[in-house]
Amino acid sequence: MEVLEHFYNKVIIPLKIGSFDISITNLTVWMFAGVGFFIILLVLFSIKPRKVPGKRQVVVELLIDFVRRGICFNMIGPKDSDRWLPVVLSVFVFILANNMIGLIPGAYTPTSNPVVPLTLAIIIFITVQITNLAKNKVKGYVQTFAPPSVPKWMYVIVVPVELISTIAKPFSLFIRLMANMLAGHTIIYVILGLITYFRSYFIAIAAVPFAVVMMLLEIFVSAIQAYIFAMLTALYIGDAVHPKH
Amino acid sequence: MDPKVAALIAAGFCMGVGSIGPGLAIGNLVGKALEGISRQPEAAGQINTAMLIGIAFAEAISLYALVVAFLLIFVA
Repeated sequence: MEVLEHFYNKVIIPLKIGSFDISITNLTVWMFAGVGFFIILLVLFSIKPRKVPGKRQVVVELLIDFVRRGICFNMIGPKDSDRWLPVVLSVFVFILANNMIGLIPGAYTPTSNPVVPLTLAIIIFITVQITNLAKNKVKGYVQTFAPPSVPKWMYVIVVPVELISTIAKPFSLFIRLMANMLAGHTIIYVILGLITYFRSYFIAIAAVPFAVVMMLLEIFVSAIQAYIFAMLTALYIGDAVHPKH
Repeated sequence: MDPKVAALIAAGFCMGVGSIGPGLAIGNLVGKALEGISRQPEAAGQINTAMLIGIAFAEAISLYALVVAFLLIFVA
């Protein structure tokens, strides 16, 4: 039994530019489907905006307000939060759309492939480093690795630790998102696979309700992982904008 | 021992040992959250959200073990 069969990439339209392989695979198809569906939904809901929001407009305003008040205000601070809202909001909506589209039976979850979360994490890593460098200049940037409040002889220990923690941040972001998406789908697959493994329909009496419960948990996990990714993005940006030491 | 067999045993062991820490962490988290809710029931909503985020963080650690287990099974 191939447990990870539904995570394999299948090339649908082979495409090549020079030596770069940009073929349309099932990953890209489902990513476009998820993001496109979300864009159409948001555009339909926010068409003809009014001062007093109607039923549909409230949904979009709730989403934006949730990210603005719940994530940006707390993590970046009220002064700079509106400036960084577009980044955090697009990360949140993109990951939410990609996580949710994978819950359709037969669909491919784009975020369960290492490439997508890794790219997102690297984008955020570079954004944070450049923000730190631009905001605090070279002196402040160096001070994030060698804080002046620490005695000089401690730099032998502190500087490597700070360097490693800086590099580990995007990796922990990437593995957290990927593993969460991978694990839930694999568990559902294994539970339903027990039916064919034991060659008995009686297993289905126990397996199918359990798979349904796991599916409900998956909806919750895909929402909370998008929230955590956006929250940590805001936290790292907030650390770069307002250095503590 | 055949390397493939060793990798399979290591994968099972990795998942088992890797679940101990998050299990303790989630138990501790939920216990403390329940304590807080029983002391102050009107703060249940806020405590719940914070608890669920904490659980998601603790759960991620056992999922790192899962990734290592998958690597052991399919790559090694």
